[in-house]
Amino acid sequence: MISISILLLIIIPLVVAFLIPLLDLYNKLLRRYLVIIGGVIEISISIYIIISYFSDLKAGKFFLTYYLGGWGPPFGINLVMDSVSLIFSSLISFALFFIIIYSIGFIGHHEGKYYVLFFLILGAMQGAILTGDMFNLYVFIELLTVTSAPLVAFKRNKHATEAAIKYMFYGVIGGLFFFVGVILLYFNIGSLNMAQLAQHFAEIENNMQLTIISIFLIGLLIKIGIFPFHFWLPKAHSACPSSLSALLSGVLLKVYLYIFIRLFWIVIGFEFLLEFNIASFLVYLALVSSLFGHVFALQASDIKRMLAFSSIGHIGMILAVFLLNTETGFYGGLLHIISHLLMKTGLFLSTGYLLQYTKSNHIDDFAGVGHQNKGIFVGFILLTLSMIGMPPFIGFFSKWYIIMAFLKIQHHFGAIVVVLGSLSAVFYYLRFIAKGYEKIKLSASDLKNEIYNRPILSVFYREKLVTTVIYIFVGMIILTGFSFRLFELPLQEGIKELINPQNYINLILGG
Amino acid sequence: MLHHLVFTVLFLLGLYTVIYKNNLIKMVIGLNIMEIAVFFWVIAVSDTGKSVPIYHLNKFAASFNDPVPQALTLTGIIIGASTTALLLTFIIELNKFADTIDSNKLEGLNE
Repeated sequence: MISISILLLIIIPLVVAFLIPLLDLYNKLLRRYLVIIGGVIEISISIYIIISYFSDLKAGKFFLTYYLGGWGPPFGINLVMDSVSLIFSSLISFALFFIIIYSIGFIGHHEGKYYVLFFLILGAMQGAILTGDMFNLYVFIELLTVTSAPLVAFKRNKHATEAAIKYMFYGVIGGLFFFVGVILLYFNIGSLNMAQLAQHFAEIENNMQLTIISIFLIGLLIKIGIFPFHFWLPKAHSACPSSLSALLSGVLLKVYLYIFIRLFWIVIGFEFLLEFNIASFLVYLALVSSLFGHVFALQASDIKRMLAFSSIGHIGMILAVFLLNTETGFYGGLLHIISHLLMKTGLFLSTGYLLQYTKSNHIDDFAGVGHQNKGIFVGFILLTLSMIGMPPFIGFFSKWYIIMAFLKIQHHFGAIVVVLGSLSAVFYYLRFIAKGYEKIKLSASDLKNEIYNRPILSVFYREKLVTTVIYIFVGMIILTGFSFRLFELPLQEGIKELINPQNYINLILGG
Repeated sequence: MLHHLVFTVLFLLGLYTVIYKNNLIKMVIGLNIMEIAVFFWVIAVSDTGKSVPIYHLNKFAASFNDPVPQALTLTGIIIGASTTALLLTFIIELNKFADTIDSNKLEGLNE
C-alpha cells in the first residue's frame, strides 16, 4: 500500500533540524517548543501508522511503501515499511521523544547545535530503517556517523575529543567497507534496489559472493561493535553527555543491528552464510564478544564505561541468537532488542541525572548518591534489576527466550554465556547500588559549590520532569514484562518475513 | 588488470599509514588514500571503453558506459570530504587541549 506517512517520518526531523537555526535568529526561547513539537509530530505519525493499519497487521499483510519522485522500483528509491521496520521505527520515535524531553535544560551550552544534530540523527535513523535502496542506506549510515561524531565531542575537553577522533576513524573505515560492498553488488547485479538484489544474488559466482559477504561483515561488525572491532565503543559512549549516551548505546546500536538483519536475511539471504560456514563462526565470535563485554564491565570503574561495556555484552548476545536462524531465536532476539532499548535508554538517562551529584563518573564519587535523590535512584535500581533479568520485568522474559533458543538446538555454550553474563551483571550493578547507598557527610554548601561550578549541567529545576521520564521507562519495562505478548503480532509477522524473504521481494517487485 | 593492482597498492598503503603512523594528520591522509583508492577503482572498472553516456549520436544503450558508478562515486567523494573536514576539526580541537597530535602521547586513543 502506498502511504506518504513513512516519508514524513524522515522529512519531519530534517525540517525541524533546519528550522532550529532559523528560529534561533528570531527568538531562542521558542526553540524548546519547536523541538517538543517535532518530537510529538514524529511519535504521532508512528501512532497513526499503527492505528490506521492495524487491521492489515492483524491480517498479516502489513506493508507500506512510497516511491520517491514517483519512480517505481527498480529505477527509483523506494521507502518500505514492513513489520520488522514498524517495530524499530516506532520504538525509535518513542525513545527519542523522551530523550528530547530529558535534554531540555540538560545541555547548558550550544543547545541549538545539539538539537540540530539530534534531529539529523533521528531523520537518518528513520531513513536507514525505512529505505529500500542499498546506496541510500549507505548515505544514511554515513550521515549517522557524521552527525553523531560532533555530539560525541560535545563536552569539548580532551577526553571527548579523543573519543570522537577514534569514533570517526572506525566509523569512516566501516563506512568505506560498506561502500565497497554496495559497489560490488551493483557491478555484479546491476541494480541497487534491495528486492532486486535479493532476487539475483544467487546468480553471482561463488568467490564473488564470499567476497561481498565478508566485506559487508567487516563493515557492519565495526559499526555494531563486535569484539575484534569494539575498541571505539566504550570510549565514545562514555565521553558524550548522558542523553546522547542513551541515544548511541540504547538506540543507534539497534539501528545497525537492524541493518545487519535486513542485509543478511533479506538482501543476501542466510543460506549463503550457512553455505560458506560463516554462520557458526559468527555465532561464536558474537558470544565471545558478549563474554568480553561483561568481563570488561566487571573491571570498569567508570559508571558510563561500565554501561557501555554491558551494551557490548548484550548486543553480542542478540547477534548470536539471531545467527542461530531459528524461530525461537528470532523471537528472543527481537524481544531483547525491544527490552534492551528500553532498559539501556532509561539507565543512561537516570545515570545522567545522578551524576550531577558527583564529581566524576568514578565509582568512589558515586558514594551517597542514593540519599541525594531517592526517587531516581530507585528507578535506576529497578532498571538494573531488569538488566540482570529479574522476573516481573521484560529483561527476564527476553533472556528466557534467548536461553530457550540456545537450548533448543543444543547450543550449550551460548546458554552458558547468557547465564554467565547475567551473573556478572549482578556483580557489576550491585557494586554501584551498594556504593550509592553508602553514607557520606557532605554539607549543603559543598554540594552547591560542586554543582554550580560545572558548566554543562544546570538542572535541578527539572527534577520532576526527569523523574517522570525515568518512571515512564520503568513503567514500560514492567508493563511489557507483564504483557510482552503486546508485541506478539508484529514480532510474529517479522519472523515470518525473515524466514521467507521471497515474500518481501514479491511485495516490492509485484511478482 | 592494472587498475586492480593500483587499487590494492594504494589501499594497503593507506591502511599501513592509518595503522602505523603516529601523527594524527598523517592518519587522516592515510584514510583519504584508502578512499581515493576505492573511488579510483570504481571509476576504472566502470569504464569499459565505450562512449560517453546519454550522448545523442549514440543510438544504442549497449554502446554507453554505465553512468551510475560515477554518480555513486561523486556521492562518496562528498561524504569523504565532509568526514575529512570533521576529523581535521577534531584534531585542531585536540591540539588545543593536549598540545600534541602524536597518537602515542595521547593515552586516550590507545586504551
